[in-house]
Amino acid sequence: MGLKKIQFVVERDLRMFVQYKFMLIMRGIWFVSQVSLFGLVVGKMVEAAARAAGINYFQYYVAGVTIITLYSTSMFIGYDIFEEAEHGVFEYLLTLPLSRRELVLGRSIGGGLRSYLYVGPLLIIVLTLLGVSNPFHLLIALAGLFLFAFGVSGMSITIAVAMKSGDKYDILIGVLDALIVRLSTTMYPTVYMQQAMPSYATIAQFNPLTYASDLFRWGTGIEGTFQVSPLVGMLALFIFFFSFTFIGVVFYEKRLEGGSWQ
Amino acid sequence: MKAILHVIEYDFRNFFRYRWFIIALIAMNLADLFISAVVFTQMTRGIVDYFRFFAPGLAVLGLFASAFMIGREINMEVRREVHHYLLSLPMSRIELAIGRLLAGGLRGMLYMTPLLLTNFVILGLPTLPQLLLILLALLLLAIGISGVSISIAVSTTSFEKFVTARGVIYYLFFFCSSVFYPMAIIQTLETRGLTPLVKFAQINPLTNGSDLIRSFLLGSPSFSPLMLLDVAIFSVIFALCATFAYAKILMRH
Repeated sequence: MGLKKIQFVVERDLRMFVQYKFMLIMRGIWFVSQVSLFGLVVGKMVEAAARAAGINYFQYYVAGVTIITLYSTSMFIGYDIFEEAEHGVFEYLLTLPLSRRELVLGRSIGGGLRSYLYVGPLLIIVLTLLGVSNPFHLLIALAGLFLFAFGVSGMSITIAVAMKSGDKYDILIGVLDALIVRLSTTMYPTVYMQQAMPSYATIAQFNPLTYASDLFRWGTGIEGTFQVSPLVGMLALFIFFFSFTFIGVVFYEKRLEGGSWQ
Repeated sequence: MKAILHVIEYDFRNFFRYRWFIIALIAMNLADLFISAVVFTQMTRGIVDYFRFFAPGLAVLGLFASAFMIGREINMEVRREVHHYLLSLPMSRIELAIGRLLAGGLRGMLYMTPLLLTNFVILGLPTLPQLLLILLALLLLAIGISGVSISIAVSTTSFEKFVTARGVIYYLFFFCSSVFYPMAIIQTLETRGLTPLVKFAQINPLTNGSDLIRSFLLGSPSFSPLMLLDVAIFSVIFALCATFAYAKILMRH
């Protein structure tokens, strides 16, 4: 397997990402409004409860919104796959002097990497807001987020190649987004999910967004947030990354044969 | 009138082409209510019953998103030059513009209906005069939103610029309103020097629309005719803007 060839595919995906400049600007606006309006006001509203849970809700929420942004930008790769199928770019990609596996692996890495790069500047703002108490913890958390971004990218590729229609993909992603974000600890701690509906808390335990956001909070030193050990969090993210990257690669590779995308 | 009805029918047929998209959108709205709002209810205990508070806001949120959809279609028509066909139809520009504007608003009302019914199931039924006032306010709001959307849609041929402008308006109107949180809590932002945002939240038609429903279904805040007036002014301004923009700007393209 040629690393250089994979690098070309990754580079292409990074260049493609710049095409979404308006979408990216919009995500940036969304991030800023979530933090500066929703986060501030809801922080006031839940002040007492957050104090009882031993957290500063604004900080808690800012970290969660960062993970939501990372998740949603990692999902973009699926849209690229549909665009390519619609515009006949698949055929062009197949004529390139690289193996199917190199192409697919490159896509998966490119999808994760570009979202990570996009979130980079936001991450700097967030870290300035939150501060860093232990740089070593932060490095571990960032490594965890790396796995998370690749895993989400693999998940997006898996869903995209399993569907024939771009519209259906769009709808499914919307519904999945609504459920996966809300049934995680990105916006609220598990203790309140448990009180509200124990089944929500149970589902959240299997949600990669829960592990990613809790690990990030642990990395930045936000107290009272991690329900399990960071090691378990890393392990969960690694399993998520490994499963979806592997499934995504196999699915995508199979779909490339015989023009089944048409 | 007949010409306007034809335009409305045309837009409703287009709307139903996206029925799965609409169902998914309703599912997302309900996820907001039955997951996020349920959890936040636990976190705001003693301050506000968040689940009951948020339900009217959700109906307004749904209305906003669906009434805004007309802009996306009109922007697509402009880009694909379908507006040449529409302008060639045997009706005046004003009839066409009014038809599009009303269709956008009525589609918003249709989409919002299951969310409003969910409100009635959760919070109880209003009296008949209250129901009529709620429907009037929401219809005016939907027409105003449709007007905002059309005004932006015809002002640019770039879909990306339209999407970005839509994003800015969405977030400003959503987060700077009492849809998600009570006005009393938004007012605490004044201490952080965010007075313009507080002022905007007070005149935001989404604030007044959702508070109007709350005033009848929850009894708080108390009803004020100014709520209806605020929504009506918003509606008239943007209905006129959209009609003018659609009739005039389209001819320039």
